[in-house]
Amino acid sequence: MDRSALIDRLIAVCGERGVFHTRSDLMVYEYDGSVDGSVETALPVAVTLPTSTEQVAEIVRIANLAGLPVTPRGAGTGLSGGAVTQDGGIIIALTRMDRIIEIDREDRTALVEPGVINLELSETTTPLGMFFAPDPSSQRACTVGGNVAENSGGPHCLKYGVTSNHILGLEVVLPNGDVVWTGSTPAGAPGYDLTGAIVGSEGMFGIVTKALVRLTPNPQSTLVQLAAFPDLDTASTAVSRIIAAGILPASLEMMDNLTIQAVEPAYHAGYPMDAGGVLLVETDGLIEEVAALGEEITAICKNSYATEVRSATEKAQRDLLWKGRKMALAAMGRLSPNYYLHDTVVPRSQLPATVARVREIGDEFGIEIANVFHAGDGNLHPLMLFDRHKPGDVERVLGAGKEIINWCVSVGGALSGEHGIGTEKRGYMTMVYTGEDLAAMAGLRNAFDPGGRLNPGKVFPKGYSCGEVRALRAQAIAQKHDIHPV
Amino acid sequence: MRNPAALLAAAEFDPAISVDGLVPGGVVHPESGEEVAALLAMCDQHKFTATPVGGGTKLALGNVPPKMDVAVSTLGLGGVRAYEPSDLVCSLGAGARFGDVQAVLAEHGQTIPLDAPDDATIGGLVATAIAGPRRLGNGSLRDLLIGIEVAHPSGTVTHGGGMVVKNVSGFDMPRVYHGSLGTLGIIVSANFKVLPLPQRETTVVGTHQRLNEALAAARRIRQSRIMPLALEVSRSGDGWSTAVRIGGHEATLDGAVLEVQRLLGHDPQLIEGPESSAWWRGYISATDLRLEHDAALLRLSVRPRDVDTMAEGAVGALSQLGIASPVVAISPGLGQVIIRLEPEPADAHDRFLTARDVLSALADHAVVLAAPPAWKRGIDVWGPAPATLPVMKALKEQFDPGGVLNAGRFVGFI
Ligand SMILES: Cc1cc2nc3c(=O)[nH]c(=O)nc-3n(C[C@H](O)[C@H](O)[C@H](O)COP(=O)(O)OP(=O)(O)OC[C@H]3O[C@@H](n4cnc5c(N)ncnc54)[C@H](O)[C@@H]3O)c2cc1C
Repeated sequence: MDRSALIDRLIAVCGERGVFHTRSDLMVYEYDGSVDGSVETALPVAVTLPTSTEQVAEIVRIANLAGLPVTPRGAGTGLSGGAVTQDGGIIIALTRMDRIIEIDREDRTALVEPGVINLELSETTTPLGMFFAPDPSSQRACTVGGNVAENSGGPHCLKYGVTSNHILGLEVVLPNGDVVWTGSTPAGAPGYDLTGAIVGSEGMFGIVTKALVRLTPNPQSTLVQLAAFPDLDTASTAVSRIIAAGILPASLEMMDNLTIQAVEPAYHAGYPMDAGGVLLVETDGLIEEVAALGEEITAICKNSYATEVRSATEKAQRDLLWKGRKMALAAMGRLSPNYYLHDTVVPRSQLPATVARVREIGDEFGIEIANVFHAGDGNLHPLMLFDRHKPGDVERVLGAGKEIINWCVSVGGALSGEHGIGTEKRGYMTMVYTGEDLAAMAGLRNAFDPGGRLNPGKVFPKGYSCGEVRALRAQAIAQKHDIHPV
Repeated sequence: MRNPAALLAAAEFDPAISVDGLVPGGVVHPESGEEVAALLAMCDQHKFTATPVGGGTKLALGNVPPKMDVAVSTLGLGGVRAYEPSDLVCSLGAGARFGDVQAVLAEHGQTIPLDAPDDATIGGLVATAIAGPRRLGNGSLRDLLIGIEVAHPSGTVTHGGGMVVKNVSGFDMPRVYHGSLGTLGIIVSANFKVLPLPQRETTVVGTHQRLNEALAAARRIRQSRIMPLALEVSRSGDGWSTAVRIGGHEATLDGAVLEVQRLLGHDPQLIEGPESSAWWRGYISATDLRLEHDAALLRLSVRPRDVDTMAEGAVGALSQLGIASPVVAISPGLGQVIIRLEPEPADAHDRFLTARDVLSALADHAVVLAAPPAWKRGIDVWGPAPATLPVMKALKEQFDPGGVLNAGRFVGFI
């Protein structure tokens, strides 16, 4: 199929306005939320914007006929290069499939199309007494489909769990164009947990065209507390003590002084400018419980050398305290032209040491690193500040990023807590997984996509194609077992 | 590491271990993941089937195996491998007994909030994905599983996830093995998030004459501000009971208890503290898969909004068919009903098949959790093959092309 025949067929499915194919239109889709230079990207052959499952299935079939890879895409806020094509192919952007099809108040579920924007879903359901718990900081823009594909998290995942805990079933278009549902009852359908496998599969197992999501009842009462500490060590100690006391806050976020310097002048959230670190602790639940927990948390923070603890129960006050945290990334522009947001996880108890090491790495590489993170989960977000026009800055930042990962892995952490691997971190996969572990992941992918057509080039280290995986696996087996016949 | 041939040669014949009446040729007792992997590779080479066996509490689950060559006991893979109370995570050997693990966690005021028999093993709980009433408030092991180690017939041991509570480094392998009934590999160890024990817990049990009253009471609870750990409606004597398990902060419990009492009506019974957990142990033992005589245990599920209709339909149909169902355990919030059928001995098999047809028609999914082998033969206990069966078969083919692991027992006779 030549290019113009391909475009014609795609237009026949999606209409003139549903297919982009001019160079200038395509260039927009060469990017996602990640920093230039941190991910690999190429110009797609075409971008399609289907409005129905049938259209998605038809595009996949056409791509198969044309022998082209397919990359699903939501809002393109991903930070690991998942939604950009690596070597051309067709992008299926799901942003026009944005209907909330059904909200079930009794079961507290919603059936949505993948292009529904995360925050819009919660805004629609909040008046009905419930919300969609995964709340990535990008929630004003990112889509439920993208959340599913990345298994996204957010501040409230400490108590409520990540996206995977909130997906009951999925309608997916498989790489061969078949359309299937993966489950719909909370008890789960018999058989392998395909829903669980698809969540976090970075668009490589199927294209999500509908999601049945769990909604969480609005808490009766919510309390936000701001605790200021002389430094990050004392703040980290308070985090450990809160957790050790058996308290599970809805969220437990930490910011360092550099972040405070950026957000406070911009948003006047009331963070003390001289604090070495602040904790933002949200507790929710029944009125009596929240009140009691608030007192316990205040006591713990004071015993951990907090210089100040402030509490807010009214929505306006709470929102103000949160504003600084939520706008932290936007505020970084005040400090530096560019930033590279990193995402790693360590066991909670390793937080103080990790924070110290991140500071050291910043010094070693000569870059400023601000820290904003989901402290309760041990999920770090070092923000490395740089100027991409300054020669050597990008390289320094990437180098520091690698060092941070090295450290996190060495203390038992993981490569990513919520942003995924994509192309950004695929080169690091062998730091945490053996060839055999990767072969098992490849086996899972082969079950869905034997031809490797869906979003190729992501997650696996470069050059790690299916054939090589099989060979590697065979080799591993041969080396390991000189099997003696019985 | 011991040589797999030597391990196989040392296999013991143990008639106490059997699946659907089939006794394996021998039971082997590996002590490491590497030993399991080597054993499985050898089974693969010789076309033996291998059945992982843990505490033996859920061997009834699954289709009747066509044959049983080797049983692989996981009891040698026990123990708490790592436990960091301050991080609220632990790593457990597949053979660790659930009761033993809970005792260790309880010393630090923590728990894995799952309803399971004490003698069940961690590997078995992950592989069967059976969760009890507390799934409502705390989720299942699926929600707590953060890492896993698995031995495969390819002779390899692989890891997925890790020891951190949030992790998207590659695909979510732990979820794939959870509920896979040991058909993709034998779980060697698993890592979990643990939770603080509730400061206090109480169970409130209301009794009602009629099923619809008990279900209505449960509905009132579901619609209230109370978020129970568990909410169950079950047959109790000639009537029905609605049991609500609540736990949490001292500050809230008294108020919540009062509210639940009011919502249940009819002067409900209060069961406090340790007696509350004992009550629930008794409750789950009624749906234990180890059936002693000719009876069958079925699990029906629908979306929760349809559970009342399904439950009433099921109970009505069974009484019309004249089939005794001494145990009916309804989880309204989970959309699930577990029923124990005890048909009259005369033509019991036929009556079971009729009952299964009638009940299946009421549910989205109907699984026969346990039944005598003669009743299970000829049916797929998991129900009709799902539309996703081709993907599931492909998955099995990737991990166990030789059909070594629990061959024929899973969905669609995988
Ligand atoms: C400022 C900022 C803050 C952020 N904060 C957070 C945060 O707090 N927590 C967090 O977890 N992430 C965060 N992110 C990352 C990102 O927003 C999330 O990963 C988000 O879920 C991506 O959604 P999207 O719609 O933009 O997806 P895209 O970026 O368009 O796509 C992401 C991946 O999903 C796949 N995909 C998209 N739609 C589908 C579909 N329908 N079916 C199958 N695959 C699909 C793509 O192929 C790609 O691999 C942040 C990003 C930014 C820019």
